[in-house]
Amino acid sequence: MPNVLTVRGLKKSYGQKTALAGIDFEVRPGEVFALIGPNGAGKTTTLRIIATLLAATEGEIRFLDRDHRKEPDFVREKISYLPEEAGAYRDMKGLDYLHFMANFYARSPEEEKEFVDRAVAVAGLGDRLGTKVGTYSKGMTRKLLLARALMTRPTLAILDEPTSGLDVINALEVREIVRRYVREGTSVLLSSHNMLEIEFLSDRVALIDKGRILDSGTPAGLKEKHRAPNLEEVFRSSLR
Amino acid sequence: MKKFTNLLRKEIKELVTKQLIVSLVLFIVLFNFIGQVSKKEVQKAIGVQPISALDEDGSAASKALLKGLESARFKVLDQSGKTKDDALETARAGGSKLLLVIPKGFGGSLAALQPIEIETYSFMRSFSLIGARGQVVVGGVISALNEALSDSFLKEKLPGLDPQSLKKPIKSRDFVVVRDRLAEGSASMVAGMISQQSLLIPIVLMMIVMYSSQMVISAVAMEKQNKTLETLLTVPIKRTSIITAKMLAAGLVGLISAGVYMFAFKGFYGGIGEEVAQAGAQAGGPALMQKLGLTFDTTGYIVLGLSLFLAILVALALAMILGVLAEDFRSAQNMIMPLVFMVMIPYFVSLFADLDTVALPVKIFILAIPFTHPFLVSQNLYLGNYGMIAAGLGYMALVFAVLVVFAARVFSTDKILTMKLRLGKKKTAAA
Ligand SMILES: Nc1ncnc2c1ncn2[C@@H]1O[C@H](COP(=O)(O)OP(=O)(O)OP(=O)(O)O)[C@@H](O)[C@H]1O
Ligand SMILES: [Mg+2]
Repeated sequence: MPNVLTVRGLKKSYGQKTALAGIDFEVRPGEVFALIGPNGAGKTTTLRIIATLLAATEGEIRFLDRDHRKEPDFVREKISYLPEEAGAYRDMKGLDYLHFMANFYARSPEEEKEFVDRAVAVAGLGDRLGTKVGTYSKGMTRKLLLARALMTRPTLAILDEPTSGLDVINALEVREIVRRYVREGTSVLLSSHNMLEIEFLSDRVALIDKGRILDSGTPAGLKEKHRAPNLEEVFRSSLR
Repeated sequence: MKKFTNLLRKEIKELVTKQLIVSLVLFIVLFNFIGQVSKKEVQKAIGVQPISALDEDGSAASKALLKGLESARFKVLDQSGKTKDDALETARAGGSKLLLVIPKGFGGSLAALQPIEIETYSFMRSFSLIGARGQVVVGGVISALNEALSDSFLKEKLPGLDPQSLKKPIKSRDFVVVRDRLAEGSASMVAGMISQQSLLIPIVLMMIVMYSSQMVISAVAMEKQNKTLETLLTVPIKRTSIITAKMLAAGLVGLISAGVYMFAFKGFYGGIGEEVAQAGAQAGGPALMQKLGLTFDTTGYIVLGLSLFLAILVALALAMILGVLAEDFRSAQNMIMPLVFMVMIPYFVSLFADLDTVALPVKIFILAIPFTHPFLVSQNLYLGNYGMIAAGLGYMALVFAVLVVFAARVFSTDKILTMKLRLGKKKTAAA
């Protein structure tokens, strides 16, 4: 099976400022791939380019063996993107929001219902889906958005810090949701600076800093290579 | 198409908020109320009004003057026998708007054809124009009296001659020619009627441009503020559809709000307007316009409507671009000003200048403003410049297309997101 995503020599500058200085990685079918790195490392920039929001300055991206830059409509059909800081329309009820979003992906009313049903199960918000999004807590909104990102069974789910702003229990739940969904055939590309979370979630990781990939591999492999007890130590060791 | 209606429905729902409905309803109620109140005031003013008169003369001539005032719907309160100061005091206390003092010897001087002064005292209890109407009417009555007096004098001195032909030896009959039609009437009257007709166009246009532009801008600003824009931009729907849905929703809601405001305004204007307007309308105006072919038929209205619609679309597309490029909501609001100016320029030009006589560069500049063309439609229809109308419509359609493509381009670049990013950065820095 071909890679879901192959990124080669990806560069991005904002005016004078270089955010990505040449990045390579790939996401294979059915795996969770994580970009980990400190603030300002370039994680969000990378994910936004892959989500067709930003244009790369240089480099090649292949998505399901197609040219990512030339076929943004095809890419948008197959991916879903959960931004780092995202909201839902405040005046919509949670359920209406899910219907609104599902409508863009569903080919039939039955499929729309299937998507929404799945999202309802994933979000686990119960009756609160009947109230307006504006009344939700941060964690509830995050779960709603995560549910909407996973409901369409995208080929690639791009999740930018999926657990940001969540308490321990909610973060745990979200991680479990993500893990479960990959089993059902969705690849995940996510970012985080929580190394422990990454160890639990990811099949493979790439350590990123100042727009460059320092190292990549499975968490176990990296720990062995750097002779470190955890990913935090791996990161410190690869910085040297 | 299904995706588009899905999006359009959401955009409309977002714009039709409780605040909007409440403010529209309030506006109607308020303006209707003002309209009713002013209607009463106007009726009061036009109805029988008390004025005081101090007739120190008591001659046949002075009685005739007072009679003349009564026939002009004034109730004359006779103050005869009082001193001037007393009369002034009584009139002030009694609520009269006007005191008329006819001096002793009024009748005698008239008979001797000596100029004589009468005095009027207007009590201004408010500064409304309606309040000052008393003096105007008295002036009218006096000039009618003057006319009658000089006529009778001329008749007496030069019997066998018509005083009218003596006072106005040259008479003119005025005709107006528009294209191949000819009718008796004055050119200034035709111009006046036309400008009155087309007065509505800029008001309607300006209102819709303001409301719709504001709505488009807030539609984009809201997506940025609520952090929903990023998600929306990764959804499988064309950027042009996103833009079109937002513009269409704003256009529809703007059109409806403008309609409601116009309706409310009519309720207000209907109060004072009609009666004053009817008093001032020149007789035979509409018939004259009809004769000259200066009326709109159905096709005319369709063409005008189409022209206005295109102008609105252009305004929306411009607002869209401004909304995207603006850093935040407030600066976006300020950016509406140039748009409003662009509507004002052709309006003032159409009021004060003749487009055919201005210098060529100015003419090109004015014609380049898309909003000029709706103003020219009625003129060109009347004058048969159909080519000019078609060119105007085509030009606006072209400008719209270019703007939409440009807006879609902006929507596809980093700009729309990086703008928002910079804002986000500022906020966290301040926090
Ligand atoms: N719109 C922008 N204009 C200018 N510079 C930007 C812009 N967006 C990001 N950058 C810069 O690009 C670099 C990478 O930013 P990015 O948001 O990708 O980092 P990140 O890894 O997601 O960080 P975090 O963990 O804080 O989310 C940073 O130095 C940032 O300042
Ligand atoms: Mg980030």
